[in-house]
Amino acid sequence: MIKNGCAVRLQVAITNNILANFSWLWELVEVTLARMHRALSSFSFAPAVKARLIRAGFHSTADLFKLRPLQVSKEAGISQEEAEDVLQAVHSEPNYGKTAKSRLTALELLEREQTLGTIVTFCSNLDCMLGGGVPVGKTSEICGAPGVGKTQLCIQLAVDVQIPVCFGGLGGQVVYIDTEGSFLVQRAVDMAKAAVEHCSLLAEDTEQQEALKEFTVETILSKVFLFCCHDYMELLAEIYLLPNFLAQHPEVRLVVIDSIASPFRRDFEDLSHRTRLLSSLAQRLIKMATQQSVAVVLTNQMTTKVWNGQSKLVPALGESWGHAVTQRIILHWEEQQRLASLCKSPTYREATVPYQITGQGFRDVAPTCLPTTSADPSAFPSGSSHKRPRMEEDCCS
Amino acid sequence: MVFLREGLCPGLSEEMIEALRSKDIRTVEDLVSSDTEELAQTCSMSYKALVAVRRVLLAQHTAFPVSGADLYDELLSSTAILSTGNASLDKLLDTGLYTGELTELAGCPGSGKTQVCFGVAANLSCELKQRVLFIDTSGGLSATRLLQMIKAKTSSMEEQMEALQRIQVAQAFDVFSLLECLHNLRSGGFQQVSAGGGVLKAVIVDSVTAVLSHILGGKQSEGMSLMIQVAGELRTIAKDLNVAVLVTNHVTKDGNGILKAGLGLSWSHVPRTRILLKRVEKPSPACCSLRTATLVKSSRQPCHLTQEIDLKSWGETEDELPGPSGKRKLMDEDPREA
Amino acid sequence: MSHGHSRAAESGSQVRNPLKRKLLARLEGKRSLENIEPRIFPEDGGPVKGDVVELHGGEGTGKTEALYHLVARCILPEASGGLEVEVVFVDTDYHLDALRLVSVLERRLPAGADQTVKASLARLYVIHCSSAVQLLLTLHYLEGLFCSRPSLSALILDSVSAFYWVDRANGGDSLALQESNLRKCTKILERLLRDFGIVVFATTHAIMRNYASKVDDNDSSSSHRRWSSAHTDLSKAYLCRAWQGVVTHRVYFSKGDAAEGGRQVFSVMSSCSRTKTTRRCSFHVTDGGVHFL
Repeated sequence: MIKNGCAVRLQVAITNNILANFSWLWELVEVTLARMHRALSSFSFAPAVKARLIRAGFHSTADLFKLRPLQVSKEAGISQEEAEDVLQAVHSEPNYGKTAKSRLTALELLEREQTLGTIVTFCSNLDCMLGGGVPVGKTSEICGAPGVGKTQLCIQLAVDVQIPVCFGGLGGQVVYIDTEGSFLVQRAVDMAKAAVEHCSLLAEDTEQQEALKEFTVETILSKVFLFCCHDYMELLAEIYLLPNFLAQHPEVRLVVIDSIASPFRRDFEDLSHRTRLLSSLAQRLIKMATQQSVAVVLTNQMTTKVWNGQSKLVPALGESWGHAVTQRIILHWEEQQRLASLCKSPTYREATVPYQITGQGFRDVAPTCLPTTSADPSAFPSGSSHKRPRMEEDCCS
Repeated sequence: MVFLREGLCPGLSEEMIEALRSKDIRTVEDLVSSDTEELAQTCSMSYKALVAVRRVLLAQHTAFPVSGADLYDELLSSTAILSTGNASLDKLLDTGLYTGELTELAGCPGSGKTQVCFGVAANLSCELKQRVLFIDTSGGLSATRLLQMIKAKTSSMEEQMEALQRIQVAQAFDVFSLLECLHNLRSGGFQQVSAGGGVLKAVIVDSVTAVLSHILGGKQSEGMSLMIQVAGELRTIAKDLNVAVLVTNHVTKDGNGILKAGLGLSWSHVPRTRILLKRVEKPSPACCSLRTATLVKSSRQPCHLTQEIDLKSWGETEDELPGPSGKRKLMDEDPREA
Repeated sequence: MSHGHSRAAESGSQVRNPLKRKLLARLEGKRSLENIEPRIFPEDGGPVKGDVVELHGGEGTGKTEALYHLVARCILPEASGGLEVEVVFVDTDYHLDALRLVSVLERRLPAGADQTVKASLARLYVIHCSSAVQLLLTLHYLEGLFCSRPSLSALILDSVSAFYWVDRANGGDSLALQESNLRKCTKILERLLRDFGIVVFATTHAIMRNYASKVDDNDSSSSHRRWSSAHTDLSKAYLCRAWQGVVTHRVYFSKGDAAEGGRQVFSVMSSCSRTKTTRRCSFHVTDGGVHFL
């Protein structure tokens, strides 16, 4: 990396013949290579601390070379603690040590993706469309009008992530952040019962029989950590603290936020502020998903957009939010049939599949019912909020 | 302002610094702009030593001029043009991505920016057999998709594995990690030999807006400063390491409803070439992979050239759908059209 | 005298005695750049020794192309329509594309004039600066260069606003600290202008919108009103007062409305503070560089 400029400098030094010491020459080389040191303004210190350091003449890590916290604190006018933090940050990055672990080849990333796995939804069409299910290590968004089944899908995923490994599941725990109060325990109980039944029908060998003993409705419910947030400040605080919680509970494989739209659509006047908050939130979530190997599932509402004299239903929270999530699924109605469309995915093509919501949860549509489904015979028996099937005319304009 | 400190340069002793301070010379700049003869006389210091110190300090802190002819020769011998793997996109870019330059892809969500980045990476590592560094800031990188694209180019397992190993991945979810990653790249942290060989020829950042958009705005200027530092690092990397840098950006609508690239006026000067991607309006069900690419800024071609790009040209996604799914007539009420 | 001259050359930028400097400058008789481009600059308002020309405009408005045009005009030999003077190009944002510059030069010379191109390029000195402190100290270093090469007549700074945001954030809350780097650069530039009689061309990027401009259109001429209302006004001056004070010519670039033959037309409005005149012109960009309309 030493360009011709450095060679010129060395030449200047040698021809000047100032000092005969070889050690001096090496020091010059070292100090010149200090060009590779980082500017202090690119570190994540507080702006006030940065301004004071620069005013005191410290511009790059080379200037802090061999200094003690007391010296730095005195010259820059910052507290001793701040000086210690600064020196620690500066010294802990001798070129390429720390970031070695965040660097991989695509081959290693492929292996990691395959190991992390996916969470099934029990609707095989939807699973096929998503390449096996909701991916762990990525953020997925489920958008839809009220009553189309977003919360049902979330609860289904919360149950499915706990399916033991020997049955092909992940055997993980769930963090469920509820902002609308739509989590219904009774519904979770129904879905858990159905899942347990389904697995007991499949159980063949002793390992699976053993696992079944741990997989009961009670254990399923006990592994769902439920958090309730009432406004966006609580939600932000919860998400800030979530990485610590996940570090203490390494078995968690799914984080559900149902829904992310409602706290941010109430009383927010400054829309640009909202966009910045959401963008920063999205970065935290993807960082958490990647570094702690969890699947993050968010639900979003729909809003009407008037454009060129036509109105369309689009996902809420603005266009820039569309960039924030890795994968987006839109649930919608067409006449009486519920459909799920994959709108954004890095891996799979856009597609649409039908699904239905039965008493047991999220399921495939039975082949005979494909063209039109009028009233589902098994629709919402116990405890669910009886949302009547809507005729969303504006959806299919 | 770089303050004179002991050890800043060999030959600069503590007593020299004290003597200079008594004459109100505190920074390198003060020393360089003062009269050395006069200073040596009044401070009773050796003139030669002072001149030597001054020369070394200047050498450490200034940049040296290069003759235009040398610059041209160096550029001629080192610039390479990298094909993107898609003929229409290459036509738009005047045969491909140029090393030593920053190219930007801007588009709405779902307009295909990440897919184009994948295509470029796959083409570079598979066809051109060169190394690529892919910096992912929003979690959109899917190694499975990269493998699909590579499989479409070669059927040999070994070559596929080698191609995958030539694509290096770094994940940076906030601006400081990104700056650290770029700095490490510049210091040579990614140069170690990896299986598969090849030289680093391209750096792809997808997307640069994800880490920058939320620190801009508001009254503080630190966000702008960090954005300019990222721009500076990217441009220095492009020139020093002789790589092509490709970044993706979001779009916003200006006062007249025309789409333009995000991140504001200060970023708009940064890329050398800018392409706007859009979904094709009113697609028939068979063409949902078509996009239009418009050249919005270029130093080589007239602007507003448009080409149609088929994302399938880099490699078909495997058909994962089950058999009959006749519900494809949703295209009219395309809810994705935001 | 000769002893002083050699002493000066040996120790680089040690020429402190103004008399010595003036003598040196006069010895070579610097070429005047007043006629560098009569189509851009107002009549009798071309840049003379000691002038600072600021080229301001938004992204994609043709500033870089205009700069290549001016550079080509400076370094080409007199026989090919140039001024045959040497130019120092300080590049702060890695913007200079030598390949493009060479293609501009080649179009202005007869075919096969490779040696002339090389000789012209030898008159161009390029320096890359990556920080404000480096720019400051480089300008100090340039004093020595200007002293030892009297045929250097122009200094191009592309761009002088590159470190604006970084300086602003590093200066914290104090405006004086934020502007201090640029103020010091301006002081050194003033010295260079005074002592060596050069012309400085500096580009500044338009990074701020002038929201108040629409109100002032009442008393301007109708053409001016049409001008500023048709385009987003990006001409807000945001650099420090010291810089504004030293600028003598302001050239404002913007994208024109019409597209001639499919090519984008760029409009230029230049004003000279010395003669208080303005001039407008437009151009489009071809393979051979700027083509005036």
